[in-house]
Amino acid sequence: MSAEIEAGTRSDRGRGLSLSFSRAPYWLIILLILFLITFYAILSSETYASALTFIAEGIQLTIAISVAAYAVALIVGLIIGLGRVSKNPIIYTLATLYVEVMRGVPLLVIIFYAQFVIMPWIDDVLAFQKALLRNTFITGVIALALGYAAYLAEVYRAGIESIERGQSEAARSLGMSHFQTMRYIVLPQAVRRVLPALGNDFIAMLKDSSLLSAIGITELTYWGKTKVAASANTFLGWNTVAFLYLILSLLLSLVVKWIERRTSSGRR
Amino acid sequence: MMQGITKRFGKLVALDNVDLEVRRGEVLMIIGPSGSGKSTLLRCINHLEVPDKGRIVIDGVELNSKSANINKVRAEVGMVFQRFELFPHLTVLENITLAQRIVRGRSQQEAERIARQLLEKVGIPEKAGSYPAQLSGGQQQRVAIARALAMQPKIMLFDEPTSALDPEMIKEVLDVMLDLAREGMTMVVVSHEMGFARAASNRIVFMDQGRIVEMGDPGVFFTNPQHERTRAFLSKILH
Repeated sequence: MSAEIEAGTRSDRGRGLSLSFSRAPYWLIILLILFLITFYAILSSETYASALTFIAEGIQLTIAISVAAYAVALIVGLIIGLGRVSKNPIIYTLATLYVEVMRGVPLLVIIFYAQFVIMPWIDDVLAFQKALLRNTFITGVIALALGYAAYLAEVYRAGIESIERGQSEAARSLGMSHFQTMRYIVLPQAVRRVLPALGNDFIAMLKDSSLLSAIGITELTYWGKTKVAASANTFLGWNTVAFLYLILSLLLSLVVKWIERRTSSGRR
Repeated sequence: MMQGITKRFGKLVALDNVDLEVRRGEVLMIIGPSGSGKSTLLRCINHLEVPDKGRIVIDGVELNSKSANINKVRAEVGMVFQRFELFPHLTVLENITLAQRIVRGRSQQEAERIARQLLEKVGIPEKAGSYPAQLSGGQQQRVAIARALAMQPKIMLFDEPTSALDPEMIKEVLDVMLDLAREGMTMVVVSHEMGFARAASNRIVFMDQGRIVEMGDPGVFFTNPQHERTRAFLSKILH
């Protein structure tokens, strides 16, 4: 996953920051300047200001869908991740199948699949008279959660496998069951270890939620599209959209960095 | 009691038809060169390694592959590891109380009372609120012993408990083990601490290439070993 690798190099650079001048985060400085220019443009130009207020309407939905989908993906991903380290061949096979399928299919296709296959099917079975189909929010959450559960499952699996075997041996030697060992000894340590990776996947998911504009969910990118179509000022419209996504993901990556620092300077 | 224990790792025969009986209240030392199967034998006693052949009976209960049975037996068998294996995300107190609560079903207060008693016994009552990473190796190993004792096991297994320690910390761990031996705890110890063997052990087992070569009480064992192989080994570790 590129998000993890990116975070790794970024934090390495961060560590060198205080040591060497050539390694200073110039990209951040350039970004700040760009931000200031954009801010100035928004404040001084009326069309920019109106574009911003118009497009920003989508932010709320972008955040709401991302948070809801991430919460579901955290739980589904944990279950599948546990399946990936299971000794039971049936559970292991099913979990692996899920991960490979979901990672092998583009997220956009998963979104269309949710919209045009899964949701109508649920409607049929539960006879909700197409009520669910009309609720694009739920469709969006399901699509993102199903797709990202596979990535999160692999993060959990890596975390679980990184805990030394001696830890579970010590727990088992005290008479704990396999489940208790997972619940009290392995998982708490594993989750702590992969917290930064989980955070990076949230950022990736937030950005990927832009794909939901394709099925008419009125999130950030959707408003960007409609605004651009209405004003025909493409530079301005997409600039504003990109600017808003950047602010969100940069703020979140600061949070991830903070978590990283806390966990690495922690009890270990 | 162990009977006809055989364990293979691939082609390597780690244990070759080993019979061994540990009597109640006895301190049994297992020594031997590395790769002789002594740790494997110890780990077979509580099925951390499952033997390919043979029977293991602990206090009248035969170990089988049912997990309920294994969990139950393991709760009666304390184990101390070479690398301590304390749970790093829990405090010392939580390390000692967790299994008491979720395996033995004791209340929080009861478990804490026992934990504090044991910390007193191993000489570090003031460390109850610390995390393992804040302790020295010797302190960590003493907590590990307390953690195992909290389950009130019928037998304690020690897998090279001092070989990951700095020399000046070895004594504090051995002292705790000596106390245990004096109290009549049944112990099986894999270690090359010959001082401890002389002071506390009732019998010494010498293993080589997956077999028990020689077994005897420490007096005879050290002064008059029967086998050439034992003699050669002892001459290397006794200076």
